[in-house]
Parts: sequence; structure tokens; C-alpha cells
Amino acid sequence: MGTGRGRFYRKGQVPPVSELKSKIIEALDEAEFVLGWTATGSGAAAPARFHNAGEAEDAVFDSTCVHNLAVQLPRLKDKTVGIVAKSCDARSIVQLAAEREVDLERVKLIAVDCPGMIDVKSIRRSFGFGASIEDDGTSLRIASAEAEREEFIVAKCRGCEDRDGGAGDPGNHPLREKFYSMSAVERRAFWRDHYSRCIRCYACREACPMCFCRDVCIMQTRDPHWIGGGVNSAEAEMMQLIRVNHLAGRCSGCGECERACPVGIPLMLLIDEQNRVIQEMFGYRAGIDPEAKPPLLSFNIKGDIWEEE
Amino acid sequence: MRIGVFVCQCGTNIAATVDTEKAAAAGSLRDVHHAETIQYTCSDPGQRAIIDAIREKELTRVVIAACSPRMHETTFRRAVTRAGLNPFMMDMVNIREHCSWVHSDVDTATGKAIDLTSMGVARVRKQASLFSSKVPVTNRVLVIGGGVAGIQAALDIADAGLPVTMVERGPSIGGNMARLDKTFPTLDCSSCILTPRMVEANQHEQIDLMVNSEVDTVRGHVGNFEVDIRKKATCVIEEKCTGCMICQEKCPSRAPDEFNAGVGESKAISVPFPQAVPLVANLRKEHCRQFIRGKCGVCKKVCKSGAIDYEQEDEVTTERFGAIVVATGYEPYDWREAYPDYGGGQYPDVITSLQYERLLSASGPTGGHVRRPSDGEEPRQVVFISCVGSRDESVGRPFCCSVGCMYIAKQAILTKEHIPESQSYVFYIDIRAGGKGYEEFTRRAQKEYGAVYLRGRVGKIYPSKGKLMVMGTDTLSGEQVEIEADLVVLAAGFAAAEGAGELARKLNISYDQYEFLSESHPKLRPVETNTGGIFLAGACQGPKDIPGSVAQASAAAAKAIGLLSKGELETSPMVAAVNQTRCTGCFKCRDVCPYNAIEAVEARDGHQTARVVDSLCHGCGVCNVACPPAVISLKGYTDNQLIAETLELLR
Repeated sequence: MGTGRGRFYRKGQVPPVSELKSKIIEALDEAEFVLGWTATGSGAAAPARFHNAGEAEDAVFDSTCVHNLAVQLPRLKDKTVGIVAKSCDARSIVQLAAEREVDLERVKLIAVDCPGMIDVKSIRRSFGFGASIEDDGTSLRIASAEAEREEFIVAKCRGCEDRDGGAGDPGNHPLREKFYSMSAVERRAFWRDHYSRCIRCYACREACPMCFCRDVCIMQTRDPHWIGGGVNSAEAEMMQLIRVNHLAGRCSGCGECERACPVGIPLMLLIDEQNRVIQEMFGYRAGIDPEAKPPLLSFNIKGDIWEEE
Repeated sequence: MRIGVFVCQCGTNIAATVDTEKAAAAGSLRDVHHAETIQYTCSDPGQRAIIDAIREKELTRVVIAACSPRMHETTFRRAVTRAGLNPFMMDMVNIREHCSWVHSDVDTATGKAIDLTSMGVARVRKQASLFSSKVPVTNRVLVIGGGVAGIQAALDIADAGLPVTMVERGPSIGGNMARLDKTFPTLDCSSCILTPRMVEANQHEQIDLMVNSEVDTVRGHVGNFEVDIRKKATCVIEEKCTGCMICQEKCPSRAPDEFNAGVGESKAISVPFPQAVPLVANLRKEHCRQFIRGKCGVCKKVCKSGAIDYEQEDEVTTERFGAIVVATGYEPYDWREAYPDYGGGQYPDVITSLQYERLLSASGPTGGHVRRPSDGEEPRQVVFISCVGSRDESVGRPFCCSVGCMYIAKQAILTKEHIPESQSYVFYIDIRAGGKGYEEFTRRAQKEYGAVYLRGRVGKIYPSKGKLMVMGTDTLSGEQVEIEADLVVLAAGFAAAEGAGELARKLNISYDQYEFLSESHPKLRPVETNTGGIFLAGACQGPKDIPGSVAQASAAAAKAIGLLSKGELETSPMVAAVNQTRCTGCFKCRDVCPYNAIEAVEARDGHQTARVVDSLCHGCGVCNVACPPAVISLKGYTDNQLIAETLELLR
């Protein structure tokens, strides 16, 4: 790692990368491997697995470590593993634990303070692929010019409550204001247009830590035949509505689905709204308490609704 | 696939609003090889027509558009079975309750009937043959509550040869009836007719009597309930106690007398009443000096049979039952808070009718001599007030207690018999005397025993010079009435026994806002609950007199006996099923299942998958919805059937 390979200036990393490495090595005492990030030639960090102290030398943590590594955990149920996790990733892990997909005893959590991840994709879109990006977690320089960091961090980080300078308003999707100013007819057209680009690559599902049904997913089965195989707006909409429903009360809002979408469908616009409603109705946020039961996954015969009858 | 469609006219019930011929046009749908309308499909010729059509046209599936499946599903399942089809290859479409009865416009109703029938065809196309299985039942019945209803039910069931466990919360069986002096309208001595039944229940070989016991938890389902019963520690070893009462005599700690409804006093250790069954002392720790001050031990010293054990602890036993009869009874409505104008419990000589019952009883605290609580004087002027906490919207108790009018008449008669020079006044709203010999009885109280009946409510009671001034209105004469009373008896209404709602939740049966337990159907299923295998007896279901309670208890017993008589139960095949090859083992189904019907099984590759225990599953479908990859389906209501139906509607 270092400035030589990437285009990132990492002197102000939190935690210092040496500390991170020693934590990884410490976790390897028990863990078979540790999930973390390594630097790549493109400049953006990539997920990696560290099996030993030697490999751990390549570990990095910077503001391009946007991936939610918790997505791998349900597949590693039978192993003891370590994981480097930002606070949003940790919420996914907690939610997975609540659903018994993760045994917290077997996961060695290495928590890192996150300065807010920068949105490499949008910077490249605006400044061209070759533009240099330098970020130390507080100040950002794009193409050697000073840039307003808050403008270039990913949407979910803007509303993050666990980050210094975070707005504390989760679900603050960039398109939210625009979308809710539309009429119902316009909204219909908005979604139809977005869904028409869906290529059914299922990247949204694969990137989602909570979508652990994987190859038995209802989106691909024809028995029961809830959804057809066609690549068109209607099927894509059905697919997303099912997905959103399945995440009700379970989504921690990590935003990986939208980030993974190769055609740029604003999936978090839907999810954020659902998360907001669920918090409002049930006072429940996913990924806070591993003992909690998601409101839509509990069958209570006692409670307010029952008493009213 | 050869489908037959039969559209019922139900006389004019359906045909008047739905053009049944048009509805039968679903016959033009794919796979439909026969369609006809029948005047009364449920009639013998109607069923004959279905059977003939199945045979002649070699139909393999049948749609019957008629009334609600709640009415005739069984009828038609049997009919298609007679024709050689699997009973579940028949599906009903409700074009009466859902169509003709709720619409007035023929075109709209017909359109809807066509849609519903076509949807039925789409559904039945995806139907699979289903087979019910049989599960053995536990031949033992649990009776909860040892009042007259519980005793009657237990005896009836035990006499039929089935073992019964009777669980009673209190220290003795007998319930409220054991507290009564005489019963209306025959003036039979209550305990004289009840105690033989209590003794019989205690001595019956098939009845296991558990007093001081409560139901902790209930698992399982009809035919096989598993119940944890908690026997509360009473510090008295039941098998050793002879009921000699020497402990009670020597006990230095006073305690309220619960059996005597709070009139008179008892001791911390006591036998509840002389005819108690079982005749065993029980110790109330909250009043006992041994437990309050940590030293006393008098009862232990005087007990000759060594039956006292201060270290005794609650015992929980688990037993299996095939059926449960709930007979938790009632308690008098606690009027004190709701009626401050009657003194709210401040005046000792304003008592409830149950307390008066104890004053009248020869086994009561006054030995059957009516003495008022305040000064032990014999009352001369007694005022009875009916409907205290009954038929009174203003205190949120709008229902009639159904027995108040009768027992007031009885108590007025008994008052005169006890104290010939006394005068009774009765404030009433209406006199409800609907039973056999009841009306004559209330007349007798007035004519032969001189009770003065005043129609109206009492506005206020206040004490004055050792007496109670009762101010009311005689609405017939329109005059204000003021009576100087020595004793006021309130006919307190019925309330469900304390904790009835909590027990109902344990049993998963429903109850109303007053915690009276709900029957499945007020007319046709009056002793059943909505949970299979649980039956109701007596006043737990609503206010009732003794004959009503006993009759319902016998009915509940008959239902329990009938249920268990075959030794096995046929389970509904319409239960959930897991496609285990696709199950991810997330067990969200187990989280939501209200019947604990999901178990984990290990697949060959070692990963855990869910399985539905057919005999526990009620087919409620909650797991079906919760399953993310939709690998759980409800047989007979599969996702594919619902999708097919919906697509047909949208077509």
C-alpha cells in the first residue's frame, strides 16, 4: 500500500494502518482468516481475505473501503472469521446475528472509525477516470484541487449518525426531494423508466448482506411462480417490490444494492422510505440489538392490537 | 384434466340476484368439460347430479359455486368422494354470501359471480390430491375449575370411563354454589345437593383432584395437549392431613374468611369450610406469624399427624390431555369503586348478596342467625337493591346477571323465615324470571312473604343514627322513597373469575371485554371454543344459574367424550409443507409459528432445514408468508393456486 500504488494520500488514516494490521494479526489467533481491504492499482480499495500475518501486511483502510463485507458472513457460518467493519457494516452483522445467520461468538469484529466513504464513481463521472483523488478523511483534493468533501461522499454516509460531521438523518437519498415533489403519475413514470434499464443481473441481491437465500431466491424460481423471467420494466418492478418487502424491518440501510447496480437504479429511495415507516410504526431499526425480533417476523398475540379487540 | 362446474341457485337465494346460467358460462374455460346450474346443489338430487356428471363425463376436478364453504364444504367433499374423486379435488366458490346476498344489481352480481367461478376453475386446476392422516389422542381430560360446572363435567366424563384431572385454584372444590344457603325456586339446601357430588368427584376412581393448583402453560393441540400444572405450596401435606382442625383452633393469626366472602374471620391456617373436599387445612403465608415474624410453629406443634411442612414448595407437573373443559366460573362484581353513593364499601351493613347468603347459612359465621355485621343486631328492615353492576351502562356493565331477580326473591323469603317480624324491600329495574317455576317464585315472595317491591334505582345510601337511610325513586308512583334500613343487600352482578383472560391467552381461546370466555357460535356451537378440543362449562362463558351451568357442563362433557371416543383424530391435510431441498434454514417460520409446529431436521449435507409437524399445524399460513424464498406452501392454498386465481381475475 502507500501513495506509490494508489492515488490516495493516507497519512491521516483512522485508525493508523499499523494498528489495524496488528488487530488483524491478533484476530488470526482464532480466526481462520480476516475479511478486510487491500489496495488496488485502480486507486480504490478492494475486499480481501487475510490468512496470516504476511498477508495482513497488505491491509488498508481508507475512504474507498465502501463495501459491506458482512455480505460474506452467512456463507462462512461454519468458520471462525475476523471482519473489519465500519459502523454500518456492524449493523448488518448484528441483524444477521438476530436472524441467526451469524454466530457472534465466531466473528471477530475489528471496528474501524469511518470518516465517510467518498463516492469514487461520481467523482470519476464528473472529473474523468484519470482524475487524481487525494483524501485524508477530512479534506479532499480532486485533480490536485481542493474539493468540498461532504459533496463527494456517498449518500448513506451523509446521513450517518456515527460519523463526525454526519447529518444524522439516515435515508437522506439524493433523489428524495425530487421524487417526493412529483405527482403520482410522474412517480409511476420515474420508476418505469428506471426499471426499464434493469438487466436482471441480481447484483442488488448479491451485494445485500440480508439476501442470504442466494440460489433459492424467489426471484429466480418458477415454483411458486411469483415472478416471470422476462427482462422488462414490469418484471423488474415486481422483483424489486418483492426484494424490498423481504427486507422490511431487516435492512440496515448500507446502500450496497444501489451501489452495486450497474445501471444506476435508485434502489435506496424505496428502501429508505420503508425503513423510515417501520421505525415510525414499530420504533424498530434493524441491526441495533441482536436479541430483537424484527416486527414483521414476530407473531404476537399479546399487544396493543390484540387488546383493542 | 377434466373440470366440472356446478352453479347452485339456492332456490332464489342466489338465482334472484345472479344469472346462474351466465355464471355457468365458466364452462367455456379451458379444461372445463361440464357445466350446469342446479336448483339446490346440497339436496340429494343436487349431489346426485354432481356424482352422475363426474361418472359420465369422467371429470377429475369439480368447482361448485354455491354458498360459503363453512356451510357445505363437507357435504360436497363427501359427494365427490362417493363419485371416486379425492375429496380435495372439489373446490367451493361462494357466490351467495360474497355475491347475491351483498349485491342488489343483477349485472354486477352476475359479473362478480362469473369472475369468482372462473377463479375457482383456475385454482382447482392447480389443486393436488390431499390425504388426511390419523393421530392417536390422549384419553384423558383436564377440567379447569371445581365449581358445580367443573364437578358435573368431571363426573360425566369419568362415568364414561375417561380419566379426568380436575384442577381447582382454591383449597376446596364446590365453588360459589357451596357458599349458597338455599337454591331457587325449590329452596333446596345448596350444600345438601352439592356436597354428595363433591364427595363423589373426590372418590371417583377416574378423577384425579388437584386443589390449590393452577394451569401454568399449555402446549400442543386438540387430542394431545401438554399442560404444566402448578400445585401451590400450602405448607400442609395433603396426604397426611386428617382435617381435624386442631391447627385452626390453636392458630394465633387471624385472617379474612374467604369462603364466607369476607364476613367473619378465619385463621391463617384453616380448613375452608366443614364440608370442604378435600377436607384439608391450608396455610396462607401472608397472614401466618411463622412467615411474617419468622417464629410461631404452633400448628406444627399441635398437628398430630405431622402434616405441617413450612418448607413446602410449589410443584409443577406436566400431564397430557386429549381435551380440556374450562369451568372457571364467576365472582361477584366488585361494586365498591363504581358505586360511591352506596358507601363504596364504607358502611359495614351494606353487603353483597353472597355475603348475605353466608349470614343465612347454618354453616356461616353466624350459625344461620341473621345478624348484621356492624353490631350483631338482628335486622328488622332489610333493603335489597338489584342490578348493582348489572344492566348499568354508567359503570360499564350493561349485561344482565340473569339470576339477581331470583336470588333476591329467595333471600327475601328466607329473611322472613329467619325473622318473622322483619320487612324486606326490593328495589328492582325489571323482574326477570324466565325459568321454570321462576315467575311463581317471585310472586310468592311478594304475596306470601310480604316483600315490598319498588321499581326504581336507589340514588343514595347514608348512615343515620345506627341505621342506613336508603333513598330511591319508586318510578311506578313517581314518588321519592326513603327507607330506614338495618341492612342493605346489594345484588352484585357477575364478573368473570379473576385471571380468566390470562388463562384464555394460555389456552389460546378468545374472550370478551368482560373476560367471559367466548363460545364458537352462540347458537350452534355453544360449548365449543374456536380452539379445537377446548370446551366451556358454566359461568366462565357468561352469567348463568345452576341448572344452566350444569346443563352446559354435561354438554361440554359430551363433546369431550365424543372427541376422544374414537381413540384417534383425523388431521386436516390442509397444513403447511416445506420444500426441504430449497429451505435455507433461516427458521423465520419457527419464529412466527403460533403452534410450535416447525421443527429443525438435519439434511444429509448437515445443514438444518425446517419441517412442519403435521399434527401440530393448524394451516394458518403465517409461515407461508414469512418464508423469504417461499419454499413453504399451504396445501390446498398454495402460492401457485393463489397466483393462478389472481391472474384469472386480471385476465
